[in-house]
Amino acid sequence: MQTIALIGNPNCGKTTLFNELTGITAYVGNWPGVTVEKKEGMWNNIKVLDLPGVYSLSPYSPEEKLSRRYILDEQPDLIVDVIDATNLERSLYLTSQLAELGRSVLLVLNMQDLLEREGIVIDTKRLSLMTGCPVVSISASKGIGLESFKKEVEHALKENKAPACPLFSNYVENLLTTIIEDDYLHLIPSGRPQRWAAIKLLEEDELFLSSMPPIPEAFAEFLHQAKTNLRLHFEDDPEAIIIDQRYKVAEHIAKHCQTKKFQKKRFNFDTIATSRFGAIPLFIAIMGAVFYLSIGLVGGYTTGILENFFAYLGSNLSILLDSLGVFPLLSGILIDGIIAGVGSVLTFVPQLFVLFLLLSILEDCGYMARIAFIMDRLMRTIGLSGKSIIPMVIGTGCSVPAIMSSRTIEHQKQRELTVLVTPFIPCGAKMPVFALMLTYFFPGKWYIAPLIYVLGILAVIITGLLARAIDKHKEKNAFILELPRYQLPSAKNVYLQTRERTLGFVAKAGTIILLSSVIIYLLSSYNFTLQSVDSDDSMLAIFGKFISPVFIPLGFGFWQASVALLTGIAAKESIVSTLSVTMGTQALSSFFDPASALSYMTFILLSSPCIAAISAMAKEFGNRKKLLYALIWQTGFAYLTALLIRMLAMLIL
Amino acid sequence: MAKTMDELTVGQRAEVGAIKAPKQLKRRLMDMGFTKGVDVEVVKMAPMGDPMEVALRGYNLCLRKAEARVIELR
Repeated sequence: MQTIALIGNPNCGKTTLFNELTGITAYVGNWPGVTVEKKEGMWNNIKVLDLPGVYSLSPYSPEEKLSRRYILDEQPDLIVDVIDATNLERSLYLTSQLAELGRSVLLVLNMQDLLEREGIVIDTKRLSLMTGCPVVSISASKGIGLESFKKEVEHALKENKAPACPLFSNYVENLLTTIIEDDYLHLIPSGRPQRWAAIKLLEEDELFLSSMPPIPEAFAEFLHQAKTNLRLHFEDDPEAIIIDQRYKVAEHIAKHCQTKKFQKKRFNFDTIATSRFGAIPLFIAIMGAVFYLSIGLVGGYTTGILENFFAYLGSNLSILLDSLGVFPLLSGILIDGIIAGVGSVLTFVPQLFVLFLLLSILEDCGYMARIAFIMDRLMRTIGLSGKSIIPMVIGTGCSVPAIMSSRTIEHQKQRELTVLVTPFIPCGAKMPVFALMLTYFFPGKWYIAPLIYVLGILAVIITGLLARAIDKHKEKNAFILELPRYQLPSAKNVYLQTRERTLGFVAKAGTIILLSSVIIYLLSSYNFTLQSVDSDDSMLAIFGKFISPVFIPLGFGFWQASVALLTGIAAKESIVSTLSVTMGTQALSSFFDPASALSYMTFILLSSPCIAAISAMAKEFGNRKKLLYALIWQTGFAYLTALLIRMLAMLIL
Repeated sequence: MAKTMDELTVGQRAEVGAIKAPKQLKRRLMDMGFTKGVDVEVVKMAPMGDPMEVALRGYNLCLRKAEARVIELR
């Protein structure tokens, strides 16, 4: 089977093309670095690979290393170089590196629908002649040009012809020729072109050098001399000379293939979005509006209706099953287990749908990179980077993609700190338990819900400040981020992304929550001798009572709360379903008081996230010890904060 | 001392000269298109005066002043 790999600059539309080809709904958005993992799919019996975006084949962050490793080691049959057509020059810089790999390359000019608006015309025939690669124009988001894309891919796979390598200045070319003649070049791994290796030797590429045997003394001496001469001749480092000359090639091609008409300055949303005084208030207002619309407006309206619906369903079903004489165990599982448990979670589908919808609009329009830009200075004071804000915004939906999106942060310590604090931002799955507690204990006190977010943000700040105080890393770290063009969110993308996430939530209700509700019901109805007992004497109660003493200082030292927290590790939604199954018909107020409800919410907000997020954390840390420390910090911090909140609440309330 | 990019104010244009930075940062900046002779324009400063947004090679990019300081102008 043949393989094609999609590669290109960040945010040029590789994943949109990938989704369009394979019918998969992979995560897309309009900021650089949405895709951080390799993805595979099938299209016309061809394996299609979607790789994280790179500006060059000299990687900085982990996801860029992955792209380079793949493109070098796995050797796809065709490299599909996806180019943002409105950004030709910089894209051709990457093309100049891909062309040297000795594989066939297809240039895909994406976003051709935007060219007209930008006043750009590209001569594709000429581009093809000058690069030696076939060229095809498409618009992945509009589904335009996919027929000719298909034809070009088939053609390129059949021909299997490598493009012409970009030529450097005579001085460099002569040097490369001499290097290639040395015997050492025979030692390069098979499939790697000698010219490419010679350039890497000049650049002193560390990843390449570490994969090679030591350089013999005579050759090393020759290389050293050659590099010294280069330095003298061009007054710069060899690596910089190569980059410089590559960009000259890119400039030359772009100049001859592209004509730009003068564009009248149109209104740019950045006039407000990144303005000096308006930027941060606007950001707060936008996030506030997102939560108000989803949780406040839609949530407030639908939660009651759905709760009543499930209560009605439960009571009617119970009458029906009784009249049919169904075995009480079965009707118990169905009504007190499944309907109570799954229902308590499904109640939140409408508001989460709206939350996911609004977040995907934010992600698609190009605003996310601006948030990083305007917040960088503030984030730096707590030891994070502007890029850390992107995971936190995504984290209001779900921590798993949020934690993954921290991978684009180049600096390792900042990246790990971001992974540690992202779960402090309450995700959608924690919403049900907050809503349950708030409507029961604090009806009409609307200001408590936003305070939960404030508390999460405070936890981020405190952790950041502490981490900075403990570890005085004064290392220079860079913050370099492309600001993409704004675009109207594509209805199709927003629809697909929202559907994917909402269905994910519903699917969890139908699987994990369903199963855990049934198990919790059974465990809370029987004792160890399998006798039907009062839930206080059940297996679950006995088990829960082992843990619950730990939580006595926090005010929820009863077994139901502890068991709910445990099931929350599987999925945070199950906290509510477990509470409703184990407490049965008893009122919440016979267990919690307002102060302990607050401390319970605090503990859930800050303690370690669900298993899916924990495994995402494990992946980013790549180290069990770090993961363990992170979980201990989160849970310990949660415990102390919850204690503090309870004491404060007891004083005030 | 040559003027460096962080000294530009909003709306000013200049031509990039040498980059005086450690290998990795230099490489990163050059990969993004800051090579000798390229035109840059400062588009905006972030609300707290840092980072800055610059336009080059037909696209916009933001970077901190600390990074802009290593880019000399000519």
